[in-house]
Parts: sequence; C-alpha cells; structure tokens
Amino acid sequence: MESSIRPRRGAIIRTLRKDKWLYLMALPGILFFLVFQYGPMYGIVIAFKHYNLYQGIFASDWAGWDNFQTLFGMSGFRRALRNTIVISLYQLVFVFPAPIILALLINEVRHTLFKKFVQTSVYLPHFVSWVVIGGILYAILSPSTGIVRDIAALFGHEGAVMNIMGDRETFRGLLIVSSIWKEAGFGTVLYLATIATIDPHLYEAATVDGARKWRQLWHVTLPGLRTTIVILLIFHVGSFLNAGLEQVYALYNPVVYEVSEILDTYLYKLAFEEAKYDLATASGLFKSTVGLALVLLTNAVAKKIDRDSGLI
Amino acid sequence: MTLLRKSTPGQWALTLLLLLLTVVTLYPFWHVLMYSLSDPRQAMGGGLFLLPKGLSLDSYGMMFRNSGIWNAYGNSLFRLLVGTFVNVFMTAMLAYPLSIRRFLWRTPLTLLIFFTMLFGGGMIPTYLLVNSLGLVDSLWALIVPQAISAWNFFIMKNYFQSVPPELEESANIDGATPMRTLVSIILPVSLPVLAAIALFYGVHHWNSYFDAVLYIHSQEREVLPVFLRSMLNFSAMESARGFEDTAAMANVSEESVKMATIVASMLPMLMIYPFLQKYYVKGVMIGSVKG
Repeated sequence: MESSIRPRRGAIIRTLRKDKWLYLMALPGILFFLVFQYGPMYGIVIAFKHYNLYQGIFASDWAGWDNFQTLFGMSGFRRALRNTIVISLYQLVFVFPAPIILALLINEVRHTLFKKFVQTSVYLPHFVSWVVIGGILYAILSPSTGIVRDIAALFGHEGAVMNIMGDRETFRGLLIVSSIWKEAGFGTVLYLATIATIDPHLYEAATVDGARKWRQLWHVTLPGLRTTIVILLIFHVGSFLNAGLEQVYALYNPVVYEVSEILDTYLYKLAFEEAKYDLATASGLFKSTVGLALVLLTNAVAKKIDRDSGLI
Repeated sequence: MTLLRKSTPGQWALTLLLLLLTVVTLYPFWHVLMYSLSDPRQAMGGGLFLLPKGLSLDSYGMMFRNSGIWNAYGNSLFRLLVGTFVNVFMTAMLAYPLSIRRFLWRTPLTLLIFFTMLFGGGMIPTYLLVNSLGLVDSLWALIVPQAISAWNFFIMKNYFQSVPPELEESANIDGATPMRTLVSIILPVSLPVLAAIALFYGVHHWNSYFDAVLYIHSQEREVLPVFLRSMLNFSAMESARGFEDTAAMANVSEESVKMATIVASMLPMLMIYPFLQKYYVKGVMIGSVKG
C-alpha cells in the first residue's frame, strides 16, 4: 500500500508547489467557510445538551431528545410554530405569485419609455430597509398622525380610525400586503428576463393558429416561465419556516405578538431574554432541518414532473 | 402621446392599472418626504397629501442636532464601505482559484460551499461562535462572519469560468502570480459582475439590521436602522430617544424628526439608484442564467 500511495502524494505535492500562490489565495475563503459556516454546525450539539454557559459546549451534560420534548410542550413554541406556518402559507399563496402576475402585465406594455418608468418605480422599495418600511407604514397608518386619519376625516369619520399596525385582526394582512408592496416589483426582474428569451416564433405560430392574447399567455408565456417559477418556488419553500424575520421584527409590537411571534423571533427571545440557549438551538435545528427537507422534497417533486427542472 | 394612440381598450386598462400600481408604490415615499419638509407644527395638523405644509427644514435641523444620528450614520457608513470591500475582496480571492480547471479538490470544495446554502448552524451556535471570538459588540461582527456569501461566490465563479482560460494560462506561463493575473487581467474583463456583486453586498450592509440587534449592544456602535427602529418605537412606551433636552418641543416635532430620519436613512441608496438600476438588476440576471 505504502508504495502505491507515495508517488501519488509526490505528484500532489509537486502540483501544489507549482501553483502554491493559487492555493494560498483560496485559503482565507476556505477557512472562512470552515470557521463561520461549519463551525456553528458543531455548535448544533448544544441542542442535545443541557447547556450551561459557564461549562461550555463540551462539558455540559447530554440531554438526548429532552430539549425537543420540552420545546414541543411549550405553548410559546407551539404558538410561534403555528404563526410561522400560517404566515408562510399566506406568503406562498399571495406573495409568491404576485411578481409573476406583475411581470406578465409589464410585459404587455408596448411603449418602451413607459415600461422603463414602471420598472424603475416598482423596483425602488426593494432597496429600502424593513425598518424604513416600518416608518413609512407608520406615517400612513398611524391613527393619530397617519394619512389614514385624513382620509377618514374626508369621509366624516373623525377620530375613529382603527390601528392596523396594532390590531390582531389586521396585522398578518399587513405583513402580506407590505411584502407584496416591497418585493413584487423587484421580483419581476427574473421573470421579465426569462420572458425576453422566449422564441418570438412561438408567438407567431400561435397567432397563425388563431390564438388570442389570453391563449398565447397560457400556451407560450407561462410554459416559457415554468423553469424559473419552479426554481424560485424551491427557494421559497426552502425558507418556509423563516417567515421574514427582518420584516416581522421591524413591524410587530407586544399587542400583536399573539398572531405574529414567529420561530426566529421566539428563539431569539428564548436565548437572550431567558438564557435558554439549548432550547433555542434545538428550535433552530428543527427549523433548518425542516428547511433542508422541504428543499429536497420540492426538488424531487419538480424533477418527477419534469426531468429538466429542479435545482440540484 | 404615442402612448395612447392606436390603443385598444385593453391597452388603456393596462396603462391605467400600471399607473395606479406605480402611484401606490411611490406615493408613500413622497408623503414621507413632504412631511419631513413641512413645518412640524402644521404637519401635525394633518391634511398633508401632495405638497409640504409651510415649507421648512426645521425637522432636518433638529435631526442633525441629535448626536445619536451622526454616530449611527458613521457606523453604518463604516459597515457599508469596509464591509463591502472585505466581501468583494474575499469573494474574488476564493472564486478565482476555484474557477480554474487544474485546481485540485475543486469539486469537493465547491460542494462544501454549496452545502452551506442548504443547511446551517443557525442563529444561536453562530452567536456563540462570534462571542467566543470576542467579536460581540464590535462592528466587525457585522462584517467578518458574513465575509463571503455562497450565493455571490457562485455568481462570481461562474462568471470567471466564462472568461477564456487562455488569458489565465498565458499569464501563468509569463510567470505572473495569480493575484496579479486576477487584478490586471480577469477583473478588468469582469467589471459588470464585480459591480453587481459589490452592490448586492452594499445594499445588504446598509439595510439589514437583525444581525446588529443580535451582536451590537452598546449605543456607540449602533447602526442606522437600529437607531431608527428605537426612534420609531411603535409601542410608544418610551419617548423618542435623544430628545429629552427639548421635551417641550418633542410632541410637536417628534413626528417630523422621524420622517426626516427616514429620508436620511434612504439617502445613500437613492443616490446610487441609477447604478442599482443598471448593474444590480443586470447582476440578478447574470446569476440566474449561469446559476
């Protein structure tokens, strides 16, 4: 064995030496991924320990599946899980298709300058922080100073405006509408780029066959978009249990915790307000495992339906 | 008015609908801008729809008198400039070697990086790691743990792979170091993707804030969105921060100062908006075609 390895090892060392600068160049980046991406993966063992900050990861006692059992027994966790699933389902149904519909609309505009104007306008909110969006929503929706007050006054309803940002009935709706408002415009970029690659002959052929606008849309444009839709759907489903941490944390307040505390905000509080790092890690592991499973599942389903689509 | 000439009713309806959507998108920004430019007392009275009421820069004056915003702005600018530089530098340094065919272990290393897009350690283990490295409560905690985004790495690597390999090979034969080849041969022909990646990172650094909530605890190192968030305090339990000295003014001007701060927070992104339009949007397309 020894002799069969040696010449190979020598060859490797020779290759490495010849291109040593190339390998040195890659080193910081590889170290980065090992330390900051794979390092935390080692930290996942905390989920299976009774973690004690002073003892550290290694010396803390093993807990088996205890943390997960405790977690699923906690009403706070179950509430966060329920909210996450509900909000994510709404997002899947209402937020995901929004850019597709908008792209189809924009694609029908013939006047190039107007098209450019619309695109430039609807991309804008994507480049703004959720905190700023929170401030803008407040400027519009605040019952005491917002513009809704003025609109209500126009219709003779002085002073009796509902607080959309602080009402359990409306808060989830606000999350969905603000997501669409912020991201639907920018989300059209990929779809419009894909539509532009569809072979114009397909439309001509469809016209010759007597297909009107709607039938062209159904038989040419949408099939052309299928691969893009599937890939973006896989990404969307993979982040199903994220439910928009930056958005929720910027917009919510104690009044609406009941309907908007999501897994990420909950595990943040578990760790940093209650110092339950082990439970929070278990909750995070649950989240990322489900995320991985969902990506693989959606990918497999997509491949089953159409062999060429899918991500991996 | 070529826009409306020889238009079918369908085109009319479409134009109207898209105009409406554009107004719905832009009006909120306009309203905030006009509010911030109004006289604080008159703005409080309401009825501000299209134009400022009693044009005045008072709210900006009051905003700038608050030392908190200067501090937060400085921190955010540091994060934006240094962070983006580190990102682009590190990403290019890794993407270039891994784009070269003769690089050993190229496939396993690429898979190693790809896997991090699917699965990660999560918030708490990452926090504990950053904490154990002594980075908590330092602006570097917002830069170093996110030095390379796997997503951007793949966009850059794929773009480098589309550069003819002969360029690299001839430079290699001429005895140029890889760093030199990257800087003087590869990067100049990769400017669009370089600009796009820099903008991806830059927008992220300027806008994201939850990492700052997580890692930064002291007020001197607060970044702008966190400052703005505590100022807006939707629960309205505490009074606006940093304005205790002008408590009498506070009630009148609080809203206006909030609006001015919102506008100030968006300013850098609005200033580079033409570039965002050009390179960021194109970059998204490059990423999709090759990815």
